[in-house]
Amino acid sequence: MKKHLFFVVLGILILVLGACSSETQNDQGDKNRLVIAISAEAGTLDPGVSMDNQAWKITYPTYERLVAYDGDKTTVKPALAKDWEISDDGKTYTFFLNEGHKFADGTEVDAEAVKFSFERTLKIGKGPSGLYSIIDNIEVVDPYTVKFELKNAFPPFISTLAANYGAIVNPKVMEHEKDGDLGQGYLSANTMGSGPYQLEEYNKGQYYKLTVNPHSAVKPNIDTVYFRISSDVSETRISLEKGEIDIAEGIPADQLDEVGQMDGVKLVQKPSLLVDYVYMNIGKGTDALKSKEFRQGISHAIDYDSIINETMQGFASRFVGPVPEGLWGHNPDSKVYEYDVDKAKELIQASGFEGAELDLLYSDNKPYWEELALTIQSNLEQVGVKVNLTKVAYPTMREKIDIGEFDLCVGVWSPDYGDPYMFMNYWFDSDNWGLAGNRSFYANDEVDQLIRKAATISDQAEREELYKQAQEIINEEAVYIYIDQQQFTLPMSEDVKGFVYNPMLEGIYNLAEMTK
Amino acid sequence: MNTQTETQPQTLTTTQTLSKQKILWYRFKQNPLTLVGTGILLMFIVLAIFAPLLTPYDPEMVNMSERFEPPSSAHWFGTDEVGRDILTRILYGARLSLGIGITVVVIAGLIGSVIGAIAGYLGKAFGQFIMRMMDIMLAFPPLVLAMALTAALGPSLINAMLAIVIVKIPVYVRLARSEALVVREQLFVKAAETFGLSKVWIIARHIVPNVISPIIVQVTIDLGEAILLIATLGFLGLGAQPPMPEWGAMISTGWEFFLDQWWYPTFPGIAIFLATLSFNLLGDGLRDLLDPKSTR
Amino acid sequence: MWPIIRNRLIMLVFVVFGVSFITFLMSNVIPGDPARMIVGPRGDQATYQRIREQLGLNDPLYVQYVDYMKGIFTGDLGTSIRTQQPVLDDLITYFPATLELVIYAFLFAIFFGVMIGVITAVKNNTKWDYIGRFFSITGVSLPVFLSGLIFIIIFYGKLGWFPGSGRIDLFMELPPRITGLYTVDSLLVGNFEAFKNSLWHLIMPSIILGYVQLSTIVRQVRSSMLDVLNQEYIRTAKANGLSEWFLIIRYALRNALIPVITVVGVSFGMLLGGAVVTEMIFNWPGMGKYVVESIGFLDFPAIMGFTLLISVGYVIINLIVDLLYIVLDPRVRE
Repeated sequence: MKKHLFFVVLGILILVLGACSSETQNDQGDKNRLVIAISAEAGTLDPGVSMDNQAWKITYPTYERLVAYDGDKTTVKPALAKDWEISDDGKTYTFFLNEGHKFADGTEVDAEAVKFSFERTLKIGKGPSGLYSIIDNIEVVDPYTVKFELKNAFPPFISTLAANYGAIVNPKVMEHEKDGDLGQGYLSANTMGSGPYQLEEYNKGQYYKLTVNPHSAVKPNIDTVYFRISSDVSETRISLEKGEIDIAEGIPADQLDEVGQMDGVKLVQKPSLLVDYVYMNIGKGTDALKSKEFRQGISHAIDYDSIINETMQGFASRFVGPVPEGLWGHNPDSKVYEYDVDKAKELIQASGFEGAELDLLYSDNKPYWEELALTIQSNLEQVGVKVNLTKVAYPTMREKIDIGEFDLCVGVWSPDYGDPYMFMNYWFDSDNWGLAGNRSFYANDEVDQLIRKAATISDQAEREELYKQAQEIINEEAVYIYIDQQQFTLPMSEDVKGFVYNPMLEGIYNLAEMTK
Repeated sequence: MNTQTETQPQTLTTTQTLSKQKILWYRFKQNPLTLVGTGILLMFIVLAIFAPLLTPYDPEMVNMSERFEPPSSAHWFGTDEVGRDILTRILYGARLSLGIGITVVVIAGLIGSVIGAIAGYLGKAFGQFIMRMMDIMLAFPPLVLAMALTAALGPSLINAMLAIVIVKIPVYVRLARSEALVVREQLFVKAAETFGLSKVWIIARHIVPNVISPIIVQVTIDLGEAILLIATLGFLGLGAQPPMPEWGAMISTGWEFFLDQWWYPTFPGIAIFLATLSFNLLGDGLRDLLDPKSTR
Repeated sequence: MWPIIRNRLIMLVFVVFGVSFITFLMSNVIPGDPARMIVGPRGDQATYQRIREQLGLNDPLYVQYVDYMKGIFTGDLGTSIRTQQPVLDDLITYFPATLELVIYAFLFAIFFGVMIGVITAVKNNTKWDYIGRFFSITGVSLPVFLSGLIFIIIFYGKLGWFPGSGRIDLFMELPPRITGLYTVDSLLVGNFEAFKNSLWHLIMPSIILGYVQLSTIVRQVRSSMLDVLNQEYIRTAKANGLSEWFLIIRYALRNALIPVITVVGVSFGMLLGGAVVTEMIFNWPGMGKYVVESIGFLDFPAIMGFTLLISVGYVIINLIVDLLYIVLDPRVRE
């Protein structure tokens, strides 16, 4: 009797639940709603603190900057500033603001707000402040004119203003200040910008909901944008197939072909400036790496084609470095190390370090790193170099990179602003050893002189020539192993139109111009 | 496994042992679940021991030209993202998973029962102190403690094992102590005390052997959990490190490929399931066998 | 009763100190300090040192610990390094999601656990006994990350019966936050759409999570049922011709359930801490997912806050179990 009762209850339960299931399929495919699946939650949304690409997806369309990247180019165009002047010595920048740009609460964006935003970032003193420490003084000339004095000439400065940390924040954020945090707590989960969108709701762990900023100068087509957090790839993929999401981030290269073939799904493919490379710890690693021949040998031992075709599934091309294709300063005729086992063996033998053992550091931060590490390990085994894999947590990896506790280490790099400075000076200046950028712990006086000079003069042709000279030395010395330059590939619904990919804005959407 | 059962009740007299043995063996055979568990376990042990003879492949050899081959006569369970044979990795993985599981639980069992026996025998203040420590450790959720420990010490197999040992110890301390509290009052212990034998001798010779029987049941049950915990840590990237063919780590990398390369996470998943199941079935059976309450 | 409560409260203090001390110690042996995560992927040394100073990481360890403990007693668990928000706020946001999931998982486990336990006891040593036990043991043996994934692919992907992620549909109007449990809040304000929707999202993850605890409950119910069924009064009643199932439900089950409470308490605690993997797979915005992400960032204020909350919860659950035991079983009283 009781047993029957159980089944009756069970039956009722199933029926009740069955009744609700039919109702979950309601109002999908709304034209005014865009759903983007992102693979991880963003950290703080404060543009004066965040160094995290994931957060920039939300902050970029919710704030405006003095200048903006021009379409899909790496150069800048006017944004909040309608025009600007640079003094002859390259140290003074004067910006003339557009009138009528308003924050989401209706306050106008003026010179005071600009001054406030940069001073706030500097006062907070976190990640973005390092970049702007070049600023000596900011002066409000009149409500629509603001003047920046730099400590020394720095031509990439204008480009840094278009990056996420150049965002102008509503000074009213100070009303939300707690314990002298300059509003960091509030801005970590709220936005106060003048961009076309504003963060209306942040449901922790689930989604970010953006709605149109009522006072925005531009009127976007899409009213509501959801960034849905989906940590599981399979689930994201099924959602895309079912049309529950419009754009699916975080799909591994291996699955892109398959996903691209789904009904109503297209793959957006564009050349990016994201490069995969391997640091060879010259300064602090094992002795073998101090030998030029040894490093050249290693560079010849890697089967680049197999990595590009198998690991990256063809969504990448050979990286001709150190400045990637698509950014000025790139030299297509740079020396490239081809896969050549015999030559590699010869060079390693000549170096006298055959049979050396190397530690290869990586983490699970990028899903393909493990495959890359395994491939490098088996490639180097062919030339008689034994590689031990060290997989650590991502924060640990950063620490080890900073203090130089590795021999080889896989890495990715993409520029924050459109200037070869992001590669040449970060990667090779001996002042930047460690996390700051020179992760091969490389030191060469001649290179230092060339790139430091290139960073202070404003004539682009002259700078390009200096960088070119430095590149010749660097590539001959085989400082890094240049693996590949990735292709930006993103599966999205065919209904989504107007997306423009800018290589400076990796993973950031031009929401205001998109339609569905 | 059955030999263990037979040799177990050492403290009984010989005549009792014989008849009891017969009854136990009879009841052991009677429960089909225990037999199934034993069968699967024996299969895994054989596979693990003879792994190199059963497969022509190397579990760590990278072969990019055979990447993601579906199951075929050459690769029964297919290949993974760098062309390694999945069956081979599962076979070698059996050595790892079983080896780790047994090592971890036996170490935890040993340490735990010794501490428990000491705490139980020495009694009052010291025992109380130990138990409070154990209460604190028990208040940590096992997976979280293991995660925090591996995060702290760095992800590696040894650290994951250490974490599980620490997580498991309190259970044995509790078990051994409560048994020891009973044994302490028994005549032969009292007798030993009157002879003036040292405490160390009494604990080693009398207390520990007499608390061992419930410990063994607990060990069998925990083996299943330990294997699953190791796999879960591997899955979260905190356990065994590549290129080790650990089952959990295999699923961790493989599960993203489930939709296109279903074989990659599925077969290691089945292996974990079967191994854990075998220990759980066996543990369940043993518990029935040795639990006086269910003897009827 | 009072001594028990007093002992447990003393224990609670022990636990808070012990747990915080252990986690704190662990947080300081880790290679990879949080300042390097905040400074960004290419932070320079000057900024890095400045952030260390701001976070108080340059203070001696005992100063940091004392500061932390002071905070605990004023309800301040520090600021999360990853989210830059007070850890307490984060936990308050994420805890109800986990709690709701665990409650439903628990209901599932109890309902089926008691049912299967009774059947296996009554049908002792028959094929029903073995099937029931096999079914429940399968639960503890299945890795959640596998069963969860298979469920998603079948019931969400192929059949579309259940949603595959989250607590509620994206476009559903959220019930106001009263308890933080969506199913409760939506009923309180009479929003049945939201209630059905959130219940709908709960089904798959709670079955997956509850299935793991099934066998513990089945085993305990079965064994105490066997005890009771063999007792004199049941045998007598049976001999007097009372219906078997009537007896089981009316007398046996009631008495058999008392010892079950202990296991239930333990398994509730286990569920709370064990929801981590389930939350990962079902995109469940709970504490488990929060802590895994925090570990990935070495966000120790968050990890410590989580561990403390879970451990204190564990002690409190044990206290409740003890008290329930006293209330339900007259023999234990006094």
